[in-house]
Amino acid sequence: MLQRLLIDRIENRILVGITMFVGIMILIGWVAINEGERMRSFANQFEARSIEFGAELFAANCTTCHGVDGRGIGNFGPALNSPYLFGHNYFASINNQISAINAREAQLIAEREALMQEFVNANDARREQIRARRDEIEAILTGEDGLAAERAAVFAERDNLLNSLQPAIDLGYPQPTVNEDGTVTSIYSRLAFLEWNGSLESFIYTTLVHGRPTSKTYWENAQMVSWSQQTGAPLRDDQLRNLTAYIMNWDKGNAWTIEDALAVRQYPLVPVAGGGEMVAAAPPVGTDVDAIVAQLDTVVGDPVRGEQIYNNQQRSQLGARLGCGGCHLNGVAGPAHNAKWDHFFTERSQLPQFAGYTVQKYLVESIVNTGAYIVPGYAAGQMPGDFANRMSLQDMADILAYLHTFSTVDPYVPPTPAEPSAEVTPEA
Amino acid sequence: MSILPFPSFLDDIKEKGFKRAVFEGVDDIVKSITAGMNIQDIREALRGEAPSRRPNPRLQPHSDGFWLHMRPSFFHKDMTGVYPTFRLGWLSTYFVFFETITGMFLMVWYTPSPQIAYGNMVAILSNVPLGQLMRDLHRLGAEAMVLIVTLHMIRTFMTGSYKKPRQFTWFSGVILLFATFFLSFSGYLLPWDQLALWAVTIGASMVEASPPPIVGETLNLLLRGGPDIGANGLLRFYLLHVLAVPAILFIFTGVHYYKVIIHGHSLPPQKENIGEDTAKRVPLDKRVYFIPDVLTSEIMWIGVTSFILVVLCVWFYHAPLEAHADPQVTPLGTTAPWYFLWIQGALKLGDKVLWGIIFPTVVLLIFFAWPYLDNTPSRRYADRRFALIVCFAFMSSFTVLSYMGTAEYGVNTTADQQIFYYMAHEPAHNRMGIILPVPFEQLPAGFYTTREFSAEEGMKESAIAALNEALYGTELGKQLAEQLKTEAHNPAFNLDATNIRVRPVPQAEAPRLAYVMELFEKQVAKEDKELYNGWGAVLITDNQDNLKRIDLILVWEAIELENGQPILDENGNVKPILKEDGTPVYNISIKHVFIHRDAAYFMNY
Repeated sequence: MLQRLLIDRIENRILVGITMFVGIMILIGWVAINEGERMRSFANQFEARSIEFGAELFAANCTTCHGVDGRGIGNFGPALNSPYLFGHNYFASINNQISAINAREAQLIAEREALMQEFVNANDARREQIRARRDEIEAILTGEDGLAAERAAVFAERDNLLNSLQPAIDLGYPQPTVNEDGTVTSIYSRLAFLEWNGSLESFIYTTLVHGRPTSKTYWENAQMVSWSQQTGAPLRDDQLRNLTAYIMNWDKGNAWTIEDALAVRQYPLVPVAGGGEMVAAAPPVGTDVDAIVAQLDTVVGDPVRGEQIYNNQQRSQLGARLGCGGCHLNGVAGPAHNAKWDHFFTERSQLPQFAGYTVQKYLVESIVNTGAYIVPGYAAGQMPGDFANRMSLQDMADILAYLHTFSTVDPYVPPTPAEPSAEVTPEA
Repeated sequence: MSILPFPSFLDDIKEKGFKRAVFEGVDDIVKSITAGMNIQDIREALRGEAPSRRPNPRLQPHSDGFWLHMRPSFFHKDMTGVYPTFRLGWLSTYFVFFETITGMFLMVWYTPSPQIAYGNMVAILSNVPLGQLMRDLHRLGAEAMVLIVTLHMIRTFMTGSYKKPRQFTWFSGVILLFATFFLSFSGYLLPWDQLALWAVTIGASMVEASPPPIVGETLNLLLRGGPDIGANGLLRFYLLHVLAVPAILFIFTGVHYYKVIIHGHSLPPQKENIGEDTAKRVPLDKRVYFIPDVLTSEIMWIGVTSFILVVLCVWFYHAPLEAHADPQVTPLGTTAPWYFLWIQGALKLGDKVLWGIIFPTVVLLIFFAWPYLDNTPSRRYADRRFALIVCFAFMSSFTVLSYMGTAEYGVNTTADQQIFYYMAHEPAHNRMGIILPVPFEQLPAGFYTTREFSAEEGMKESAIAALNEALYGTELGKQLAEQLKTEAHNPAFNLDATNIRVRPVPQAEAPRLAYVMELFEKQVAKEDKELYNGWGAVLITDNQDNLKRIDLILVWEAIELENGQPILDENGNVKPILKEDGTPVYNISIKHVFIHRDAAYFMNY
């Protein structure tokens, strides 16, 4: 049979061919029937994978300010794993109960009024009925198992809840107010507070992409920066989506407990009035390396201020936070701050392209022209390229002085304090 | 006299009656569609009867029609069996069309942009009905096509079919072979996942090695559209994949087919006299006509092959989709596609230019030039010992080189990274770290150690107690806690290390975890030289309600190393590095993964 055409008889070939085509159609139909379920299960799995990737990113990038468990760090960042962010209203069910009691009461009182009016013109038999009904209503309103008692119980529950929430309120959870009718009003949702019209997901994603422009007026020690590659930061869009999925995964729906509210270490701060602060007028240092190095002789660097600028505790003279330490402290994402000065002498100066460089020139170039040389082991394009416009000559001198203090090859000698000038007049 | 003011079909009806007029009209239409065969002719052909009229109407589609003018009107009877063609040439053509059709469906759902491409893949899998099936068919078809085309070439070589007058047929075939390779390779990048990015990065970096440097850099820029593969590179690969290379493939498929018409199929070598080519002189009794025999056979095999592919894709094969491409993260064990592994293997032999560029180019040139170099007339196996030796030598050296191209061969990785890879690597090439498929419910929070599994039966409790003692408030405990906190961002232990508590794996509750811990222990034991006095631990913490965090920890005593290998003394023992007070220096390595309840790793296991 293998000698010719595998299947020798033409009618058998036609039969096999038709069977195969019908088989393909049946198979594809069978797959199509199950497609809905398959696509749903893939979507679930993919969402789960996305949360896993997001968890990884959160651990690496976000925990320093928002806490490992997402419950915030005092004065650094607000909780994300918080009923407030997800807008859980602890008083929703109690409000419903109170409203129901109030409505029932109003209905009964209205019925009693109507009966009383009818009473005037009613015959004796009817009057007897009305009296009976009135007593019934009285019993429901004020009796031992009546509405008043029911209300007292719900109020007690409500006050309990208010009391147990008190520690969270002290930490910044919005203060609820008790209305005249006994219900509780509170701004229980972060989005409502901000009057945000989009979804929570879009709020989180947008904040990741753009940072929080207002946060520097109230998060003194740390501010939400942009994380998106669209704005020159390190994370790709899919990574931001993963992070968003991870943060959204803290949502417990209706299952948030008081303990969750109490476990939060830091609620969002409310910005104080105003914003920004006055900054000294100083020109930006620019990108001309040789000019900067020449001018450095005219200023005295202050290593203490340099350290503060380096570690984000103080702004540059142009009002910018440089945040060098975020990547360079201990070499987390860039060459370690304490080895830079010495590495110039031990390693860089051996390279042909740095012939004729001073350590100042090397460091200045590294800061204002970040792409000029990439230290082996680190990726290109990680360091922002706009420092030339965010710092002054004095800031540069201070930072260089700070880096110099770590040197063992070329030990730092503090400058002798200048003689106080006689011409300085005390402020009048 | 016409019924209407002009001649029409109604006249036919009037003249012949309705039934006959309609039948003849349809018959004419069928005849023009088939370029010569009417309904009666088709019937006879499909019934296997001889044609009832002369000249033979079954030859007319070959001379008058477009499609069949590319096929011979009859085959030699000795050519229609499995041997000598194995149907490989026909199968290759089948896959060209199969890939074109499935590829067009996928194109509808795809945008070649790094921002969107991966999302498109996810959408194809999660939101396009039959999307997964179509992608699986396209991917499986591509891999099969590479295999089939290669086998076709080997077969042609073996039977000496490249010899005069078919040298140029072979030449055009080599072009098709490389077009197929490049089509498959360029398609690799399009999903924009880690597999895609790194497989193509390896491939494209060989281009960069072309001498002199200016040529390599320019070629690299042209191919990738930048120093690294990004938006431009993806667009270029896409256009090559869907336009440029298919165009070359289709044109040369036409050339290749035309040459087959001109020269006929070469007969099995032993059926011909040496130096003779009788393919075009087929005696009448040896003829097998294309219509109906070969045609029905081919259509049947289209059905059978497609059915096999669909069955494979429904139950046995799913095209992989790994994590989103990330140029910053190089996965361990990255390899080129399997059909380029031989180049990757050759690269491990030494110089990048010699083995990455010159060697493949020479191979390519040998392929092209072979029929012009080997001009001996005989196609018989016995007369072609040298050529067959060359062929087998090629095949075996390519197999060896391909093995050398795999990640198992000659890639030095530190023992701890290797163990972490074994335990927890991302799903790739349809494999994954062994801890990932542990069912979510069998990951109870806690701190577990391999010491429990290296201890003998009955000694487990004391092994755990000893480890607890070694950690509680000690230097090692503090180091571990500190490293967990700073490197891995997991403050599971506080810094004075007083709440580290190893506990035994709850066997009844988590048998799968216990099994994985046992395998973990075996890995650590296997590396006992490099991981001197080493032990492993798994720290499971609850991260979110449906998300566990798993920290894999390896602790060992530092020893002297040279090029990553332990230095041994004359007794074959390692040399530990000790502190001044004689206590060992500990190395701690940590890797962590997150596992979500719905990630359903275990479903793929």
